[in-house]
Amino acid sequence: MNDIAANDPAGMAGVLPAQTKIAVRGLDFFYGGARALKEISMAIPEKQVTAIIGPSGCGKSTLLRVFNRIYAIYPGLRASGEVLLDGENVLDPSYSMNRLRSKVGMVFQKPVPFPMTIFENVAYGIRHHEKLSKADMEVRVEQALRRAALWDEVKDKLKRSALGLSGGQQQRLCIARGIALKPEVLLLDEPTSALDPIATGRIEQLVEELKRDYTIVIVTHNMQQAARVSDRTAFMYMGELIEFDATEKIFTKPSKKQTEDYITGRFG
Amino acid sequence: MAAVHTRRRVVNVVALTLSGCATLLGLVFLAWILWVTLKNGLGAIDWKLFSKITAYADQGGLSNAIVGSLVMDAIALLICAPVGVLAGAFLAEYAHRSKLGATIRFLNDILLSAPSIVLGLFVYVIVVLPMSNLTHGAVSFSGLAGSIALALIGLPVIVRTTDEMLQLVPGTLREAALSLGIPQWKMTVQVLMRAATSGIVTGVLLALARLAGETAPLLFTAFGNNFMAWHPLDKMESLPVAIYQYTNDPNPALHAIAWAGALLITLFVLTLSLLTRLLFSRKKVPHE
Repeated sequence: MNDIAANDPAGMAGVLPAQTKIAVRGLDFFYGGARALKEISMAIPEKQVTAIIGPSGCGKSTLLRVFNRIYAIYPGLRASGEVLLDGENVLDPSYSMNRLRSKVGMVFQKPVPFPMTIFENVAYGIRHHEKLSKADMEVRVEQALRRAALWDEVKDKLKRSALGLSGGQQQRLCIARGIALKPEVLLLDEPTSALDPIATGRIEQLVEELKRDYTIVIVTHNMQQAARVSDRTAFMYMGELIEFDATEKIFTKPSKKQTEDYITGRFG
Repeated sequence: MAAVHTRRRVVNVVALTLSGCATLLGLVFLAWILWVTLKNGLGAIDWKLFSKITAYADQGGLSNAIVGSLVMDAIALLICAPVGVLAGAFLAEYAHRSKLGATIRFLNDILLSAPSIVLGLFVYVIVVLPMSNLTHGAVSFSGLAGSIALALIGLPVIVRTTDEMLQLVPGTLREAALSLGIPQWKMTVQVLMRAATSGIVTGVLLALARLAGETAPLLFTAFGNNFMAWHPLDKMESLPVAIYQYTNDPNPALHAIAWAGALLITLFVLTLSLLTRLLFSRKKVPHE
């Protein structure tokens, strides 16, 4: 039993080398009357991959969806506490949604390309935030598609509908669409759960490359995936953050019994 | 065990037979209607039908009725399509689960099932009479009034299909657009409506098919006109009204022309349905 870790569920210890990008403090979340997150506090380091794992219904997706306030589109959902992005509380109503969402991108479980061409899928979001000339836009779209490791596969059919791409390509397109806005944080909500192993491998490789420039938070059902791609792992259970530490530590010598039980497959 | 299986098999056969018979009954009448219309209408279709106006009675045709129908249907569609699509979008995207939305949906369903003659009388009172008073009788019954009455028939159809089609668009598409910082109205118009285009257009065409066959709303609004009229402020003839008048006449030659008119409407509606099918057979549900 590591005393420091035991007294430090937020995982603050050991992140000193990296800057904190998102600091969560005393976060509660309610679906109507049901409390889905309980007093979550954690520090998500900059330009690293943070994985959130836990059994179904533990609140991991809910937590992710607080970071860009996407939950707010549904009535009856409420968050209290603080989520500090670079020191500013994004839950503060005065924090502009436009600004937040251009800083924090999100990729969802199922690939959801817009019913537009491949080019337009990427250009659409940029166009809302910036006025670019046609040439600049083309450069920008190409950059995003290259970053998402999709350019070579689609460069000859940019004018074709995105709906014709394979599931894995669609998901990389969604990542391209997200990074095209030059966000600082990328939220991935089980991004490979609808993909085959090969497409999954490509996405994981991509995550590895993207962390040089972005702070990545990934929610996953797949523990091996968390172990493979993340630097730090948070284990959640029943709306609580049980343990948050270096991934290696979580998977080799977790400090909490619950974490160990989950990791070793005794429940969940 | 065996007894259970036998029972299930019997129930299955009975249910299949009954539903098969019900389907057959419906199809028989549809085929019958088509057959009777074709048999009686085809013989009366000639060049005169399209070139001569109803003023020549049994020596004439239906050209003014065809033009009137086309003009009024077009104006009606121009009125009810934008209003209906916007209202449907409001219901699906802005008032999805609210009390206001539920109330509007309920009222829309009432409008959907309102007797069309009532809508005709309503437009007579709110458009025809005031227009007549305003212009001292120069303009009273008019194609425009007829179009407004027809638009009221088509409106609830479009509102409902647009609402339903937008609700079929997966919520994840909304989240994806909003997570890029796209505002809600922009997302609705540029992403969701695009995803639901086929469904929305189908609704508009269905509304057109529905209002093209209406007679009652036109009786007190467009009234009828034995001469060619293009101007929407003139009284206008229409196919359904011409059919109605000709079938009330003892002259069998007029009955024949009425059948030809009935066939024209049937073919028009049939073509619309087929066109809808053809255009969107690949994609019924928006997205996926």
